[in-house]
Amino acid sequence: MTATAPTTPTPTPAAARAPRQGGRAGEWFLLYGLSTLGALVLSALLVEATGGDWRPVVNALLDGSLRKPGRWGETLGTAAPLLIVAVGTIISGKAGLINIGQEGQLFVGAAFATYFGFLIGGPGPLNVVLILIFGAIGGGLWAGVAALLKFWRNVPEVLSTLLLVTVGGQLVAYGLSQPWLLLAPLADRGNRNQVSTQLAEDNRLPRPEIFGNEVPLAAVIAVALAIIVSLVLARTVWGFRLRMLGRNPRAAQRSGVGQTRYGAAALMLSGAFAGLAGAAMLAGGGFSFGNYQLVPGFATNIGWTGLLVALVAREKALVAIPVAFIFAGLRTGSSFVGATGVEGRITDVIQGFLVLALLIPPAVMFLRDRRRARAAATERV
Amino acid sequence: MESGSTDPAGAVPAGAAPAVAFRNITKRFGAVTACDRVDLELHRGRIHGILGENGAGKSTLMKMLIGLVLPDEGSIRIDGESRAIHSPLAAANLGIGMVHQHFSLVDALTVWENVALGEAGRLDPGAIRNRIGEIAEQYGLVIDPDARVGELTAGLRQRVEIIKCLRRDPNIVIFDEPTSVLTPEESVQLFASLRQVVADEGRAVVLVSHKLDEVLHATDDISIMRQGQVVDRLLAAEADAPTLARGMVGREVSLRSERAALGVLSVDEANGFDDTPIAPTTGSTATSASDGRRPVLSITNASLRGSGGTPALQDLSLDLHAGEIVGVAGVEGNGQRELGDLLSSLLSLDSGSVSIDGTRVPDGRSGAMARAGIGVIPEDRHDSGIVLDMTLAENLVLVDQSAVAQRGVLDRRSLDRFARAMIDEFAIQCAGPDAPMWSLSGGNQQRVVLARELAQNPKVLIAAQPTRGLDVGAIEYMGERLEAAAEAGVAVLLISSELEEILDLSHRIVVMHSGRIVGEMTRSEVDLEQLGLLMGGAA
Ligand SMILES: Nc1ncnc2c1ncn2[C@@H]1O[C@H](COP(=O)(O)OP(=O)(O)OP(=O)(O)O)[C@@H](O)[C@H]1O
Ligand SMILES: [Mg+2]
Repeated sequence: MTATAPTTPTPTPAAARAPRQGGRAGEWFLLYGLSTLGALVLSALLVEATGGDWRPVVNALLDGSLRKPGRWGETLGTAAPLLIVAVGTIISGKAGLINIGQEGQLFVGAAFATYFGFLIGGPGPLNVVLILIFGAIGGGLWAGVAALLKFWRNVPEVLSTLLLVTVGGQLVAYGLSQPWLLLAPLADRGNRNQVSTQLAEDNRLPRPEIFGNEVPLAAVIAVALAIIVSLVLARTVWGFRLRMLGRNPRAAQRSGVGQTRYGAAALMLSGAFAGLAGAAMLAGGGFSFGNYQLVPGFATNIGWTGLLVALVAREKALVAIPVAFIFAGLRTGSSFVGATGVEGRITDVIQGFLVLALLIPPAVMFLRDRRRARAAATERV
Repeated sequence: MESGSTDPAGAVPAGAAPAVAFRNITKRFGAVTACDRVDLELHRGRIHGILGENGAGKSTLMKMLIGLVLPDEGSIRIDGESRAIHSPLAAANLGIGMVHQHFSLVDALTVWENVALGEAGRLDPGAIRNRIGEIAEQYGLVIDPDARVGELTAGLRQRVEIIKCLRRDPNIVIFDEPTSVLTPEESVQLFASLRQVVADEGRAVVLVSHKLDEVLHATDDISIMRQGQVVDRLLAAEADAPTLARGMVGREVSLRSERAALGVLSVDEANGFDDTPIAPTTGSTATSASDGRRPVLSITNASLRGSGGTPALQDLSLDLHAGEIVGVAGVEGNGQRELGDLLSSLLSLDSGSVSIDGTRVPDGRSGAMARAGIGVIPEDRHDSGIVLDMTLAENLVLVDQSAVAQRGVLDRRSLDRFARAMIDEFAIQCAGPDAPMWSLSGGNQQRVVLARELAQNPKVLIAAQPTRGLDVGAIEYMGERLEAAAEAGVAVLLISSELEEILDLSHRIVVMHSGRIVGEMTRSEVDLEQLGLLMGGAA
């Protein structure tokens, strides 16, 4: 692997793949079971150690994510942007690119959506669509900066996307301080600083009520996108070529799948998904995501968590659907835990444990496969 | 110990426990039985050759000894003791080492770094370099420890693999097709020194190979595998090539391919070439270079600086006409790899140009060469020839999906149908069209490449080391297909480090040295002596 393949993943030697069949599903099941159990036990111990009782905490988690009126709708609403971000991450991952700047792309996307949403301000339903589209364009352009740096200047996208999170945050913060950009007129923001105007009623994504829960349209869009992307990657020529690029850039180069063209497209597309997630948060509203307006810290870790969802789902768009829901449940559930008298910050730690629990099995499997691969590559005396 | 029921009679001192005894070993992958109740013994002080068609189960059997594959049934005894070899580490602790069929080196690292990979504790570069020097001397495997692996030729990479294996002085050494990328001289030297070490230090060696001649000369005992079973055991001293070929394939194999596979074409024979069925049939193709027809492929004054700053291609010009097979002879590392990469759109030239039918093809632009009608069988299939993590069917349409897609959507059914047709035509052994490429045996992966490149109806076909890893029968078939392609009007460029292969198939031969064409002759006027001089850069 030389010349044209700067991102070539070291191919696993064929020999190392041999022992990879049989009992995989069982292993996965066992690993997830064990690690989740471990996280729960650790969390329980932690709660007990700080003078609390674990049972009410578990109840609170379930109440907050599912059981209390309106809560599963809320969880769905949180799952939607997580899933959209994750699906985008999967696209770039398939092309062999590591985008970790979703948090920034999401924020920039939301800012684009806000700015153009108000600038154009057309009739209701049409403007909602425009808001979503501009969110995607914003996120895509922001990832496009990283793509440009990579394919023009050879800057690794892992670095550039990450750095652009900070830069994007600064830029949007500036925009939020300027009335000619994003800052709402004084009349619309009371005496709050740095918020945009609230989207008008007819500029929001509908949340029809079903069984006492507001079911956000954003969740439906997210699931549809996950299904579409999974089909596109598996069934279309474009998806085929993207996978080829991710798996063997040299074979791809010979076959007419240029790094620059396909790689840049994949990276920008993944940014566009993050931006779309931002726009969906803006227009979808709900308890967790501001109030149909752009505020500082708007992204609230949805970008990072979405990246985790993709990681846990191991680059399978359909698997990301339930994973996003679980992560969303942790988030909405934990907001109820505070009420049990347990120190608020402890719920963050518990959430961390659970995230780790979901990340450990893929990591263990990855390390094991890699150890085998390395053993194959090196331990043959 | 069932006293040597599987031994060739009297070859081994009675009573000594074999170094390795496979007992009733079975390994299944889904519906495929890769190894079927195999009994096999390896003895200290002896080299054991294993022959068999592509997919016969040779590599799988060896991977069980090295702990990469676990047997479903049966047992493995090392020095008489039954052992469960769960991992390569366990195998290493038992003193077992293997040189694999496919490279597993890290291109970005240097030779000594690759050799040291996996070493526990602190690295001592000095000591490792010394050890590399020792091995180089002992086995005739000379190499620069500070060279970057990515810049080495296939032959030199193979040396690194072998040194990596030999560095820890394994008692039991497995070579899985080690010489497919070594020159005949290199392999002769390797096995001569190996033989000595084997005899002196009582090691047991396995050699898996498709080169009958090499197996006959380098080994003591020979086992032939067919469809997962050991079907024949003989002493090398009592065997001959036709018998082995028949034993492997289960039918007679034509003399010509035998000659290619055997590497038995001596200077004398080559000079008296009257018995060859290949001498250009019409004569017109051989002289086509000069008859004024427009070439299909022409490379004009191609120059390219290699990564080390030394020129990889120097002012190279070459014309290829429809219907001819042009052989590129030369010692490996004289620009052949760059020539192949250039025609695979993997390299851009510093100066010069490539045209097809008189139209310039932009070099280094992704897919341009393939679109212009250049098919390539690359010298290292894992580099740009296949995608291991995609399915067999997908690998058959890497370059062009138009036949199996409609409006940008893959038609699974027609892909499946196409793949099944190819599997039949090229006798690819696999679990089915959806088998992941990495699960195919080396020779079957090579067949996939051949099938794809031919199915694309190229104008020009670049075949670089096309028979690498193929069994005797498949080599014969490969030759037939190349000839048929030429007859159908394809211009074929055959790049090979095996002179026999070139002499066997080419109508015209050009010699490459230091990145340029230093000589050219038609098949009928070949003078082996002069050819040798040209290849050495002396003429
Ligand atoms: N990990 C695997 N999963 C599924 N099938 C496999 C796997 N490894 C090997 N096989 C199958 O087992 C059979 C034997 O393969 P093996 O690699 O042992 O052949 P081989 O004798 O080394 O052939 P070659 O001469 O082509 O290298 C083949 O049909 C191959 O497709
Ligand atoms: Mg093999």
